[in-house]
Amino acid sequence: MSFDQNAFLIIITAAMIAISCGLLGVFMMLRKMSMTGDAISHAVLPGIVIGFFVSGSQRGLEVIIGAGILGILATLMIDWLRRKARVQLDASIGITFTLLFAIGIILINLLAYKVDLDQECVLYGEIAYLPIDLWLTKSGLNMGPRILYLSLLNLILVTAFIILFFKELKVTSFDENFSKVIGIPAGLINLSLMSMVSYTTVSSFEAVGAILVVALLVVPPATAFLWTRKLKLLIQLTIVLGIGISIVGYYLAYLFDSSIAGMIVSVAGIAFLASALFKSKSFLSRFGTSRQPESLKKIV
Amino acid sequence: MSRLLIFLLCTSLFLACKFENPEERLKPQIVVTTSILADGIRNLVGDAADVVALMPAGVDPHLYKASARDLDLLLEADIVLYHGLFLEGKMTEIFEKLSLRKDLINVSENIPTELLLRSGPEAHSVDPHIWFDVKLWSMAMDHAAAELILINPTWETIISANSKSYQAQLAELDQATKLKITELSKSNQALITAHDAFAYFGKAYGIEVLGLQGLSTLSEPGLRDLTGLIKFIVQRDIKAVFAEQTISPKAIQAVVAGCESQNHQIKLAGPLYTDSLGDPEGEAGTYIGMVHTNVSVIFQSLIQ
Repeated sequence: MSFDQNAFLIIITAAMIAISCGLLGVFMMLRKMSMTGDAISHAVLPGIVIGFFVSGSQRGLEVIIGAGILGILATLMIDWLRRKARVQLDASIGITFTLLFAIGIILINLLAYKVDLDQECVLYGEIAYLPIDLWLTKSGLNMGPRILYLSLLNLILVTAFIILFFKELKVTSFDENFSKVIGIPAGLINLSLMSMVSYTTVSSFEAVGAILVVALLVVPPATAFLWTRKLKLLIQLTIVLGIGISIVGYYLAYLFDSSIAGMIVSVAGIAFLASALFKSKSFLSRFGTSRQPESLKKIV
Repeated sequence: MSRLLIFLLCTSLFLACKFENPEERLKPQIVVTTSILADGIRNLVGDAADVVALMPAGVDPHLYKASARDLDLLLEADIVLYHGLFLEGKMTEIFEKLSLRKDLINVSENIPTELLLRSGPEAHSVDPHIWFDVKLWSMAMDHAAAELILINPTWETIISANSKSYQAQLAELDQATKLKITELSKSNQALITAHDAFAYFGKAYGIEVLGLQGLSTLSEPGLRDLTGLIKFIVQRDIKAVFAEQTISPKAIQAVVAGCESQNHQIKLAGPLYTDSLGDPEGEAGTYIGMVHTNVSVIFQSLIQ
């Protein structure tokens, strides 16, 4: 046995991204906006195309910035459609990302027809190559894997955001009207959560690819939700699950020599299914009997 | 809970250990990106080294997803060769950084820029499919041979001998291709394929080339492209259109159906090999075999 530095780097980065995504994912789930990550993964396309034309290169920083701006724009549009146009939340997510993705495709057809340009080859990173994607300073100094810094920075910012605004996030997630009554600016909190999600997804897309990020936003919080209804415990459980699936996923991928991101997502899915099966009785009784009458009572 | 967290982090640290592979390599290992490149390098080094391709035959480089041990392959390789010209997408960036600790060869770096096809002034708008022009590919192979000798001077006799005979075979292939394709363009035919991969082929061998789809596999054919293409086919009395090995034939089937509705019978031929070699045992398992297969399919389908 010998210590494999690369395996450690991959696992630790995956775990950091899993924690960032999981922390935000809990609040997104409570707001029934879990699929925003998926929406952002498609909505960034016009930003990439425009960034490409500003920088003239598929690798420029402008491309990443363009993607980030479009991500925030997409979350704003989802929120706006829900509030002002009074569309169902899932429909507003669907409208937003298909529209933005379609604009991206038209832009490619009009402007960049002859260039190989899509999120796949421009934005999405590959977690397997993370240890050799080094950060080199201008003077040629080797600072170690670039993605490690990006995801650490992301983790610090997300954790600070959640700790600082924990009360506000909690209240606005459960009861927006109540939060307004006690003087919490729900709109502002919502906007900053959305910007945080957009920043985290684009930053993590660049690190590990889309499918992993979308799954980490949704699956660990949903699995934890099967086990507990206490918010603090929910968050802790999400973090533990995120780390656990990163470790198990990596080793299974190594064992079968397959895609790391794919395997982590599969492990997460299996963990969810196992939890759901294990909890199915209480799951059914909660959703089947006690919950529905409550919501019905409210309407009556 | 926080104790559990620390415990998990510690186990991940401990778990990041692997059993080392006890088997020792007898030969130096060369890792390359595409199957086409792998075949070329095998011809150059012969038995002197093992050549492994990251993207196996049949995989579209656009759709390549790294598997967990690809990193080990790259790090354990003695020499890494890649195609360049942004064919490897985002990985190109990573390869450039790999040059810090590995002997790395970009096989296309020496091709004069005036011979490259580009769609715009941007650095990355260059068409990477240079292997369709046998002359350009033999330049790339020549460069690879020279660099390999620089890295490992003990290979000089083997590689220069192999390179000489391989270059001769490529020159012969180039001549044979030119002969057949010139005959086609005399009969006013054009090569119509699913995506724009054959631009170098058209330029080198003098046949008009039309692709239904842009370079990016994401861009879908526009309606005007489709009607324009059908009109072109009917006017020029084109005999066949071609499917491609790594791309779904749906879009090109629409062209066939569109032509039939205009009472113009057209054959859907192929599939042609584009971004990857065929089955290693089959006819198109080598670069020369692939070009031969493509050219004879194109010739047979368009000549009648």
